[in-house]
Amino acid sequence: MSLTETFALAFLFGGSAFFLAGTIGLLRFPDVYCRLHALAKADNTGLCLICAGLAILASDWQVAAILAMIWLIGLLASTVSAHLIARHAYLSGQKPVEARKEP
Amino acid sequence: MDSATLYVLAAAVLFGLGLDGLIVCEHLMRKLFALNIMGSAIFILLVATSAPINDKPDPVPQALVLTGIVVAVSATAFGLALIVRLCRESGKATLSVDDEPENDD
Amino acid sequence: MGLMLDIVIVASLIGLSFQSLYARSLFRCILHFVVFGLAMSLVWARLNTPDLAMAEAAIGAGVTGALTMVAFRRLMAISPAQNQSRPSNRSRLALPIALGAGGLVALLGLAVLEAEPVAGLAGMAVMEALPSTGLQNPVTAVLLSFRGYDTLLEISVLLAALLASQAVTQLDDPDPSILTEQPDTPLVGALLAMIVPLSVLVSVHLLKAGSLGTGGAFQAGAVMAGCGVILALSGRLTSSAQPSLLINLGLSIGILSFIGIGLVPLLYGQPLLALPDVWAVYLLESTMMISIALILLLLFTGSISIRRSDG
Repeated sequence: MSLTETFALAFLFGGSAFFLAGTIGLLRFPDVYCRLHALAKADNTGLCLICAGLAILASDWQVAAILAMIWLIGLLASTVSAHLIARHAYLSGQKPVEARKEP
Repeated sequence: MDSATLYVLAAAVLFGLGLDGLIVCEHLMRKLFALNIMGSAIFILLVATSAPINDKPDPVPQALVLTGIVVAVSATAFGLALIVRLCRESGKATLSVDDEPENDD
Repeated sequence: MGLMLDIVIVASLIGLSFQSLYARSLFRCILHFVVFGLAMSLVWARLNTPDLAMAEAAIGAGVTGALTMVAFRRLMAISPAQNQSRPSNRSRLALPIALGAGGLVALLGLAVLEAEPVAGLAGMAVMEALPSTGLQNPVTAVLLSFRGYDTLLEISVLLAALLASQAVTQLDDPDPSILTEQPDTPLVGALLAMIVPLSVLVSVHLLKAGSLGTGGAFQAGAVMAGCGVILALSGRLTSSAQPSLLINLGLSIGILSFIGIGLVPLLYGQPLLALPDVWAVYLLESTMMISIALILLLLFTGSISIRRSDG
């Protein structure tokens, strides 16, 4: 395996790990704000890493530019939708859960 | 086992599952989903069983399925409009046989 | 490695379809069904048919998802209890019938695979005649040059679905349930300023790409309709009960231009729908894209017409 392929694989695995962490957060976190926090941050980082890995594998400027655009548009959409969901939840009266008291 | 066989088997499972849902589910929107799943199964079967031409997939089944997808969406949209109207008229979105006694289970 | 991927996709496809029929609440069914559409588009990508993958992602998952969501809101406004409706019609015949039908499909498919793989005659003819159409994408060539009847009927079915939906929807009370609160945050404006031009660009690109590679009028129209749905959800477009000439023209221009161009060859003694040249294909695809986008958008808003909202 060449050096670029090793790099690309590392990026892809890193991205998958972020996606996994984001999904676990989505399933395990207590309220809508924490879940959005997990999704919006972890998944966008995962998407960035996977796009970077694929761009390295493609080694073609056009493909790399398209992948970068995919990442940016995904970032835009997830930012605004996370904001709108959190805003709707806040306006409809959902209180964030209190931090757990340490015994 | 190659992937064409796998997709044929998947189409069979999806078709059976969709038919079961069509019979069993009471809510009409679930029935609509069941119909769509059966349709998707047939689309997969059409494309997965067509022989490639010069190592490219046969364009004719693809065009058929493309038309099928659009027609399925049209039918789904009309079905949804009918369901909403039915619910507005009767207050529920199920089709039950009215003269059947309620306590027969 | 490829087979592993196929197995994962098929397993998730079956799980998603099960959940979209039997999930606890109707809302979960809808979510699983939308993801089922996305998984279907992965199947098309694996089967090496990118046109179908794009159509399924845009039309199958995107448009169907938006339509079911808005229908769900309307149902919930009438009776929220039905969200929890359980499948209870457990008939003793359901399982054997379903197993039998599934078995038949499996037998049919396996028998076809078992037989000597023979390339379809129609497909071979398409591939041979492809250079004469001036197109490079065989799927677009089949849809417009060789099987124009199918596509004409397809756009008619779409228009008929819209007219029938409008006929059964009570049009005298415009439905306010699409938009409950005005999302007046600055972020929405910024999103629109970027997404709307971008999606118009993407749909025109898809339209043009349809003659060379993956793309076509239906995918482009669905992307354009998605842009319209975003505009409607953010309150920039509102549904209106007054029929508008411009909108009605847009709805019917696809089918009208199809019929118009299809009739011209009869004057020169050629068969119906024999498209004269590649410019006719472009013209038809553009007008069909406008019609498809408007029809899908009006199916979403459930109204006769749409207009810019005031202020």
